[in-house]
Amino acid sequence: MSSPELVNVVIDGRDVQVPKGTGMVETALAAGIEIPVFCYEPRLGSPIGACRMCLCEVDGMPKLQTACTMAAQDGLVLRTAQTSDKAAEGQDAVLEFILLNHPLDCPDCDKGGECPLQDLTFRWGPGNTRMRFPKRTFDKPIPISPLIGLDRERCILCYRCTRFSELVAEDGQLVAVNRGAQSVIATFEDEPYRAHFSGNVIEVCPVGALTSTTYRFRARPWEIQNVPTVCGLCPVGCNIWATTREGKLARILSRNHPEVDEGWLCDKGRFAYGHLRAEDRITAPLRRVRRRGFERVSWEEALDEAERGLRAAEGSVVVALSGGETVEQATALARLTQDGLGSRAAILPETSHPALDRFRAPLSAIRDADVCLVIGDDPVVERAPIVDLWLRQARRAGAEIITVHPAGSVPLEPGSAAWACAALTSADAPKELRPAVRSLKRAERVALVWSENDPTGGAYIAALAEKLGPKSSVYFLPRTPNGRGIAAAWGRADEPPADGEIGALIVSGDEVARDPGVRELAERARFVLAAVMFESEVTLWSHLVLPGTSYLERDGTTINLEGRPQRLRRAVTPPVDEELAFFAELAGRFGVEVDPWPGRLPDAHAPLPARTEADAPVKAPAARAPKRRRRGLEVVRYRGLFSGAAVARVPQLQFQRSLAEVELSAADALQRGIENGNLVRVSSNGTSRTLTARINRRLRAGVVRIENEHANGLEASVEVTHA
Amino acid sequence: MADARYDRIRKIAAKYPERRSAMMPALRLAQDAHGGWLPAEALREVADALDLAPAEVEAVATFYDMFNLEPVGRHLVEVCTNLSCALAGAKQVVDALEIELGIPPGETSNDGEVTFRLIECAGGCGYAPVVVVDHLYREPTRPEDVPGLVEELRGR
Amino acid sequence: MAAELTVLTGAYDHDLTRLAEYRAVGGYRQLTRARKMKPPAVIEEISKASLRGRGGAGFPMGRKLGLVPPADKRQGPAYVVVNADESEPGAFKDREIIRRVPHRLLEGCLIAAHAIQAEAVFIYIRGEYLAEALVLEAAIDEARLAGLFGQVKVLLHRGAGAYICGEESALLESLEGNRGQPRPRPPFPPVAGLYMQPTLINNVQTVASVPAIIELGAERYAQLGVASAPGTVVYSLSGNVNRPGNYELPLGVTLRELVFEHGQGIADGRALKAIIPGGSSVPVFTPDQLDVQLDFDSVQAAGSYLGSAAVIVVDERACMVQLALRAEKFYVHESCGKCTPCREGTRWLVRLLEKIEAGDGTQADLDLVAEVCDRIEGKSLCALGDFAVWCVGSYLEKFRDEFQRHVDEGRCPYGGESSTEGVPAPSDQHTHTAMAQVPA
Repeated sequence: MSSPELVNVVIDGRDVQVPKGTGMVETALAAGIEIPVFCYEPRLGSPIGACRMCLCEVDGMPKLQTACTMAAQDGLVLRTAQTSDKAAEGQDAVLEFILLNHPLDCPDCDKGGECPLQDLTFRWGPGNTRMRFPKRTFDKPIPISPLIGLDRERCILCYRCTRFSELVAEDGQLVAVNRGAQSVIATFEDEPYRAHFSGNVIEVCPVGALTSTTYRFRARPWEIQNVPTVCGLCPVGCNIWATTREGKLARILSRNHPEVDEGWLCDKGRFAYGHLRAEDRITAPLRRVRRRGFERVSWEEALDEAERGLRAAEGSVVVALSGGETVEQATALARLTQDGLGSRAAILPETSHPALDRFRAPLSAIRDADVCLVIGDDPVVERAPIVDLWLRQARRAGAEIITVHPAGSVPLEPGSAAWACAALTSADAPKELRPAVRSLKRAERVALVWSENDPTGGAYIAALAEKLGPKSSVYFLPRTPNGRGIAAAWGRADEPPADGEIGALIVSGDEVARDPGVRELAERARFVLAAVMFESEVTLWSHLVLPGTSYLERDGTTINLEGRPQRLRRAVTPPVDEELAFFAELAGRFGVEVDPWPGRLPDAHAPLPARTEADAPVKAPAARAPKRRRRGLEVVRYRGLFSGAAVARVPQLQFQRSLAEVELSAADALQRGIENGNLVRVSSNGTSRTLTARINRRLRAGVVRIENEHANGLEASVEVTHA
Repeated sequence: MADARYDRIRKIAAKYPERRSAMMPALRLAQDAHGGWLPAEALREVADALDLAPAEVEAVATFYDMFNLEPVGRHLVEVCTNLSCALAGAKQVVDALEIELGIPPGETSNDGEVTFRLIECAGGCGYAPVVVVDHLYREPTRPEDVPGLVEELRGR
Repeated sequence: MAAELTVLTGAYDHDLTRLAEYRAVGGYRQLTRARKMKPPAVIEEISKASLRGRGGAGFPMGRKLGLVPPADKRQGPAYVVVNADESEPGAFKDREIIRRVPHRLLEGCLIAAHAIQAEAVFIYIRGEYLAEALVLEAAIDEARLAGLFGQVKVLLHRGAGAYICGEESALLESLEGNRGQPRPRPPFPPVAGLYMQPTLINNVQTVASVPAIIELGAERYAQLGVASAPGTVVYSLSGNVNRPGNYELPLGVTLRELVFEHGQGIADGRALKAIIPGGSSVPVFTPDQLDVQLDFDSVQAAGSYLGSAAVIVVDERACMVQLALRAEKFYVHESCGKCTPCREGTRWLVRLLEKIEAGDGTQADLDLVAEVCDRIEGKSLCALGDFAVWCVGSYLEKFRDEFQRHVDEGRCPYGGESSTEGVPAPSDQHTHTAMAQVPA
């Protein structure tokens, strides 16, 4: 890319040079001048010039102009309120109008103290009002969802929240209704704002109109500390501020990493922190007594018990990792088990193909791609939510988005991903893939996103990238937050013994504790050590239960889906010390020295390591096109974002869980006389579930899609009938 | 029925370079099909046909005067009271209608027959006062024309 | 007189809604001629004729045409959009044109489409004009069947009741299926308009004037009207005159001629009190300004705007505070709600005017009305904010004594006898979902 043309602009008498087309708010900032804004927020699409707060005087223009809608051009001379009386008068007028009906209830407003309206009124506003009429009132706050309260009196109609809903998340659920002075922000028929990213509207609101129900009246800004850390709930690793008050977690805010999250968070990342204080949290080491009972033991006693159990295993040890551990925790477990106990048997959350690092790119590069190929049966938004926002942004910027899955733009059979990767570069691609082949060939920048489980850890998509060449970036979406880091920390893993007794099983984390396979191993183990936050079936089988910690309670390193190492910071103190300390000490008892202190990456936004060089061509196993089933409907299952141990413990998040629905294609629905919203029975050999039918006009015929939780017990092929 | 409307809306949408442009024709279609107003169900139908969220449709429907978000009578009687009509005695026409219909502007008669409301300039200023009956202009309408007009509506 | 008509020519002697009759008077011949010309030549002709937009702003159509990137210098299609969302209080001329000469409008559309090599023509007609939409739709069908459209798609799009959609960028938003809220500019429509593609957007009358330009040639056309604004315009005359109606006349006739000759004077021999020269949005004139010529520049020099050439005559019986209040209620009703000054300021003005009309106003309230007008003017996103204060501001300025008497006497000096006494206005635009509760 050629470097952009620089232009000279004069703002308040100061000369400043910026690339042509830079917004005037940013240009002024470059000159050290602040132009106040409310509606302007570049992440929400093109400026709308609605609030009028940024009125400035421009040479050669009779009327005041909004700086937010202007771009830097050579010779532009602009005067802000600081040097232009006319602009100052304009700004004063706008603030007077904004405050006409604003309740000024700052003392009991959550936004107080960190409110742009307060700040700008303080700096630029009129000292009094000439409005002598009673202010407009509304019922307040109105819960627009269990997570968000709307105060229409405070709303200044800057349309930031509605633009987020329309132009960023594209959920279209939060809108302005009515016209003129009667305009209010609303959801459809006052239904809850139920969308993956809804919480961001709280953060973009420049006043206290949209507030978090989980933070409401919890803290004043001068009582809080904001800890810079990283979300540990999915492989994106959004950068966050963990706000604490008196040692307790009070809220999560975004900490805009422009390459990773652009300042957006999903609702799971924003609101799931409530699980830290769940009632069923394990807060002390527990030792099994008798058959079913447990007793609290001390840290030392727990160490003794663990040592005893592991020694008795005589090298027959299996470790099951969840994928949420830090690199340091996983390393400590690896050293303990591999060096101290002599076993490499492990259940790892995933594998990660080394070739992925050859096509590494920041997530933000998706936005700059001209073709994005999304391949795999899992909805991206459920697996790595922010990636979905990047893809939407790419589409808005003009990219072609090709989605290859049963409800995609290329609606292939379920399970086609591996085969399609190969077919997309073969000379005789099947007809349905040919347009995609052409697009990929023509494109100058390609983003390849893989979104389903893959035992090869990304070999298929890496092979496709290799054929397309360096113009392609690969985003392999792991299943777990730090699966990549953990796989690397463990190294080569041996399969756990298929049958027979096991000496010891170490279960790390709540996710894997819920795995039926692990439960089965637990039944075969003489000694089970589980480090988990909450009780589960496995803890009932355990001999020793260590209180696990959350990502908000740990220090350490985590590697996101891009391959970017980021630093987790302990925001709040866990009930007892974290797993790393325990396993490091335990390793010591087996003569292995493990550093109990986590590595220290800088707090600042972490950079992405450079791409690695190719050492050998990518070898992907051969894959065949799946066969069409002759009978019944094929079930595609996916794991909903709002699931798992943390989500289950936050009452306000329950409405976000996947509904008990089955998605049907229009053709299959028609054939069965099923309409949208009908209750239907989904059945396979002997089991059946009653679900609500949701017709998905994009879904391929012959396929139904059900979220895991609601597909329990169903087989791969089902029939759907009226309930 | 709803399926037929889906197809009709898709057909209208196909005439425009972008589907969303069919929003207003689609809302009009839905309104006509739902007795002159837009219940939530109607908004959902339009949203479905245009691949939008229902809220996006509601946002548009509530912006325009001619989309009714509450039930209306079988007949719609609207009186312009903007400047030219005001100067020509629109107030007297409104008063006459209020007496004759037995309801103030903004309401629907108890029998559900007539919705009576005021409107802004309808573009009949030269033939003021303007009364619009079921979307057709009666220009001018004098207070003395009102009894006949109401009788005609009741008879229809 | 007939010789001077360029838009409504023949409309009163023939049924020009029918294609055959329109053709019989020479209809669509200018289209044929224009299509034989190179697009730049058509633009050149319209530019030379100095045709200024009849929708309100008076922007030269030729300049707009010239801003549209030519076909070989743009990506994607270009569009012609006709603004038939006539909603300015006092204006009813586009309606007349559509009813009487729909084919002339279509002919103008097709010539414009040829000039910019547009792919499609969209005619956005206000939703209330049902009868007119039916006439136009029939004309479109007839012309399409006759093969007159060629490769151009012509689509009639009905609005649904929103004054703001007469504002060109709000109209484009509305046509795209959104709430009709204005866009910030730049970019201007000729560069990025409908679907962000180059778009020529003009008022009905402007477009309907185009065939006459091709027919007469720019030079002869430019001899009509005044030098700064050639051609004819359809004046909509309404209010307290004996013969209200639409009058197509050369630009530059005086108010006196329009009101007293064509309109045959004030009804019932009453005295003239005020004249609004360009629709309710423009500053008001007083009787001493009757000799102002009705063309863009002359009206502006006299302190107002020709706007949509909608002349509203007010006789002595009207209370100017009541008139201001009624006008302002219209702008509150029609404010789109996007930008702060217009949304909040207009409502404040209504409450102040209500207080003054009720006799409860103070001197401070009166001063505040002027001040609030000042604070809205020039600060809103589109011109609606200006419109909302030009009316009230000018009534206050020119009839200050009458406003002052409301304050001094603690009541309306008309004592309930004014012609505008108690004129109701539509309540706030229908408010679905939680209504604002305004304390009494």
